[in-house]
Amino acid sequence: MHEYVLPFGPQHPALLEPLHIKLKVDGETIVGSDIKLGYNHKGIEKSFENRPWSKGMYLSERVCGICGHFHTSCFSQGIENLLGLEVPERAEYVRVLIGELERIHSHLLALGVVAYEMGLDTLFHYIFRDRELVMDLQELLTGNRVHFVMNVIGGVRQDIKTEHSKRVEENLERIEERCRHYIRLFRSDSLVKSRTKHVGYLSKSKAKELNPVGPNVRASGIDYDVRETGYFAYKYLNFRTLTTEGGDVLERCIIRFRECMESVKLVKECLLKLPKGELKSSVPPVIRIREGLETVSRVEAPRGELIYYLKSAGEKPYRVKIRTPTYQTFHILGEILRGYEIPDVPVIVASIDPCISCADRMTVVDTNTNRERIVTKEEIREGKC
Amino acid sequence: MLEFLFQALVFPGFLAAFIVGFLYEGIVRKIAAHAHHRIGPPVWQPFMDWVKLMFKENIRPKEGIGFLMTLSPIVSFASLLTVILFIPIAGSVLFSFQGSLFVVIYFLILYSAFFAVAGFATGNPFGYVGGVREITQIVSYEFPFIVSLLTLGFLTGFEIVPFLSLHFPFAFLAFVAGVLGKLCLPPFHIPEAEQEIVSGHLTEYSGPRLAMFELSKAIGFWVLISLGAVYFLGAQSMITFIVNSLVLLALIIIIRTIFARLRISQAFRIYWFVIGPLAVIDLIRVIIGFY
Repeated sequence: MHEYVLPFGPQHPALLEPLHIKLKVDGETIVGSDIKLGYNHKGIEKSFENRPWSKGMYLSERVCGICGHFHTSCFSQGIENLLGLEVPERAEYVRVLIGELERIHSHLLALGVVAYEMGLDTLFHYIFRDRELVMDLQELLTGNRVHFVMNVIGGVRQDIKTEHSKRVEENLERIEERCRHYIRLFRSDSLVKSRTKHVGYLSKSKAKELNPVGPNVRASGIDYDVRETGYFAYKYLNFRTLTTEGGDVLERCIIRFRECMESVKLVKECLLKLPKGELKSSVPPVIRIREGLETVSRVEAPRGELIYYLKSAGEKPYRVKIRTPTYQTFHILGEILRGYEIPDVPVIVASIDPCISCADRMTVVDTNTNRERIVTKEEIREGKC
Repeated sequence: MLEFLFQALVFPGFLAAFIVGFLYEGIVRKIAAHAHHRIGPPVWQPFMDWVKLMFKENIRPKEGIGFLMTLSPIVSFASLLTVILFIPIAGSVLFSFQGSLFVVIYFLILYSAFFAVAGFATGNPFGYVGGVREITQIVSYEFPFIVSLLTLGFLTGFEIVPFLSLHFPFAFLAFVAGVLGKLCLPPFHIPEAEQEIVSGHLTEYSGPRLAMFELSKAIGFWVLISLGAVYFLGAQSMITFIVNSLVLLALIIIIRTIFARLRISQAFRIYWFVIGPLAVIDLIRVIIGFY
């Protein structure tokens, strides 16, 4: 059989976000792949530059619909670094608490999608039903199911009320129980195992070389987690990095379930240790930062390490550079797709939990020559491309 | 003559197949939805979809072969209508003669084969993969399916008559697996795996052509479930026919709910190395008279 090119995306029922993978296929076996981005570019980094710092918070929340809280955490952490601002301890706890809830919902979403790509609709719907438990908690604590707008510069907007803690613990118990059940199911069910075990294998040495982040690298046996650096309240909490050996789709799923259980533990600990005190330290209404001052801020988002680079131009940022975890993880796709079959493609792609909305970059195609090229920043500034 | 026309066009012929086939699909979707903790579409949703599709635009892709694209749904639809004539549903049958089983087997293969042809005719890479998968799947499931029909055929004189095959569990297993493969139901919905190859062979189809395919799938439901209810579960009267059909439908729903999609290589292995040999055991038992 001859080789042919099978497009995976940009519009594809398996992945609801516009990611385009050109698969070079021989029969059913994949011999090569080429990733193309640029269908969902929003120009967010540029829009930061004509907004005051405080309005940038609204924008960074909307970089991603799933991990918006981490984006604002990272952005506000950067601004607080630049201002030299101390965040009250209680606010740090609340940030961690909401973040861990969001991590659970993001992981369960990714795992549900993996089940859906396997063609196992029942498991998909079950996992999504259990995800509702944590969505309810988010609504209860913050008022919104997504885009919580909990972070403000110097603290948080809203307090965690003690009367909610019973409901929170009930739901968390249930989530932990279900996660344990799903781990058992993934490890024992022969059909699930046949679709996930030894599929999309990423060895430890390759993982070191290609350097993905988040659960994807931890599933290959490398313990790398930004939470270990102890930002926010993680320095007070009993946190340990989880790793597994294996590096296939199954292990990437299992580690997400285990991280959900770890997050449940962290949320409970947060509720227990929540100190009394201020929610927000005082910030001037118009934030001015000395020109040319720059900082790098990083947090551990559900998909891995999220980095914001900020450089000040006074009342506005001069440059905001966002390095989302998925952008760093894309590199492994070529490695983990090669040699597997067409049915494995959606499962493998879903198993790295890509978030195209976060990671998309601009591609410039010259329509005359039909060739892609790299455009410098000055060219964009002057509108030459 | 009037009775003949009634049988051909109303019951058990075209109209019953048309209505009940869509109803079966609707029931499967509705109950599977409840198993997923969803509400699911109303049971007449497949029929409504069909009506809507009939009034939609008929689009032919540039690389597609229009003649084949029109022909293949019609052939697979017509071959299934022919099969109905040979199945005695609730005691009424149009044609019945020794060896009619072979006609049924032949037309059932024709029905599936033209799904594959439909995939190749579109000139779309997804259609191409879908077609290849459909052919591979036909090669896989036809062996146990035909063996299971022949097992009973030795006892019924290769004619489709009500027959209760309690002695041949493996033949029944092979038949059910064959039905799942023919109707593209989980775990064998490989040729139209939407997460992998969009809709497989039906990717480029739209409007009345797609509607005809939907219709032939619905009638396939009716034909194969009726065949199972009569030939394997021995339905002689109307009541036993309904009960048996529902039992088969329940079986299909349970399988649909608990199974993930297999890879085509896994499906091939299961049909040839697990279900096939089991079906052959029953065939050998019939031939040597040990049952």
